[in-house]
Amino acid sequence: MTVSHHPDITTLMAFSAGSLDEPYALVISTHLAMCEGCRAQLDRLDVIGGALLAGVEEEPVSDDALDALLGRLDEAPAEDPIRMQPRGADVPAPLARYAPEGLDALPWKGRGGGVATCELPVSPHAQSRLMLLRVGAGRAVPEHGHGGHELTLILRGSYSDRFGRFGVGDIADHDQDVEHQPIAEMGEDCICLIAVDAKLNFRSRLMKLLQPLVGI
Amino acid sequence: MYAVDMSDTTSKPVPEAKSIADPADLLARIAESKDRKALAELFRQLAPRLKSMMLKLGADGALAEDLVQETLLAVWRKAHLYSPDRGAAVTWIFTIARNLRIDQLRRLSNKPYEDLEGIETTDDTPNGLQRIEQQEIISRVKTALGDLPKDQQEVIRLSFLSDMTHSDIAERLDIPLGTVKSRLRLAYGRLRPLLEDLQ
Repeated sequence: MTVSHHPDITTLMAFSAGSLDEPYALVISTHLAMCEGCRAQLDRLDVIGGALLAGVEEEPVSDDALDALLGRLDEAPAEDPIRMQPRGADVPAPLARYAPEGLDALPWKGRGGGVATCELPVSPHAQSRLMLLRVGAGRAVPEHGHGGHELTLILRGSYSDRFGRFGVGDIADHDQDVEHQPIAEMGEDCICLIAVDAKLNFRSRLMKLLQPLVGI
Repeated sequence: MYAVDMSDTTSKPVPEAKSIADPADLLARIAESKDRKALAELFRQLAPRLKSMMLKLGADGALAEDLVQETLLAVWRKAHLYSPDRGAAVTWIFTIARNLRIDQLRRLSNKPYEDLEGIETTDDTPNGLQRIEQQEIISRVKTALGDLPKDQQEVIRLSFLSDMTHSDIAERLDIPLGTVKSRLRLAYGRLRPLLEDLQ
């Protein structure tokens, strides 16, 4: 898989630090599963965390902490979390918990104009949303701006916009000042995994009317 | 007042007494023979730092101690998965602590980090560095962090040693989000030559 669009380095830094909200962390994790270069990049960023841990001042632990630890070594480990085996070839491991039966088996909602969406359930603590967007081959997503940080990962098909062509594994890492109009390429529907922290802001009057229906 | 002590990384390196065992060796002893003394030694070296880190990351005292215990328990169980070729022991332990903290503090219903653990880089060729060099990289990065301009150091430390998102940091420092990101990029640009040594 040739991935040519990667997350911004600051997004990977936030992932390494562990401060991304679940939807963003999941999109990055799924990209990492598809992109060796970014896995190597993450290994490098983790060294910053290692160096900070090595350099942080010490905080005394309670006297019985070591005994408590040693007393637990023979405990049977809690059951290993079941690692979902993805069914669909285009469902990388981190996404499998959300789409165990594959992308096509999800409860898609048609939004008209060749567009369908599927909201994926996340932890109630999450402050942003995780969703899938499916755009019919050759169809355009109405031009829109972004109300906040948005990550879009291509899982199937491809699209083009003014930033270039995005194929499977590519990620678009957009800040709020970006406006674009992605057009899915011919031949295959384009499915993207998206994390957003605000509603998209559609520019056209028609789309403003449709926005409540589209729900993105 | 910031929840960050800017002096951390500028403190003088602890003199490496002969008696301080290399964490990578301790992990190897745990992996090979379930050596409890090795784990106890690792605890003495790292538990106070792990606790400090957990406190900065938003855990209260009791939870911080729980997380330290869980981290070292995971280290005990997963020691065989550590490979000194891929990085310093302290970096590996940092990632374990981070993933546990995310589970417990951010309470994600799903586990995006754990699901990634099973995926190995196919280009998993050892980088050829000796263990001692991995330790050396950590100490060079520690020094380099301390040498960063204060404004860059501040965003790096808030980023890794607080539970703040970049937006939270922007708000806290009363600077635009773009400035937080550009400082992080500048800091990364300075650290990068040291981190690239890994490849």
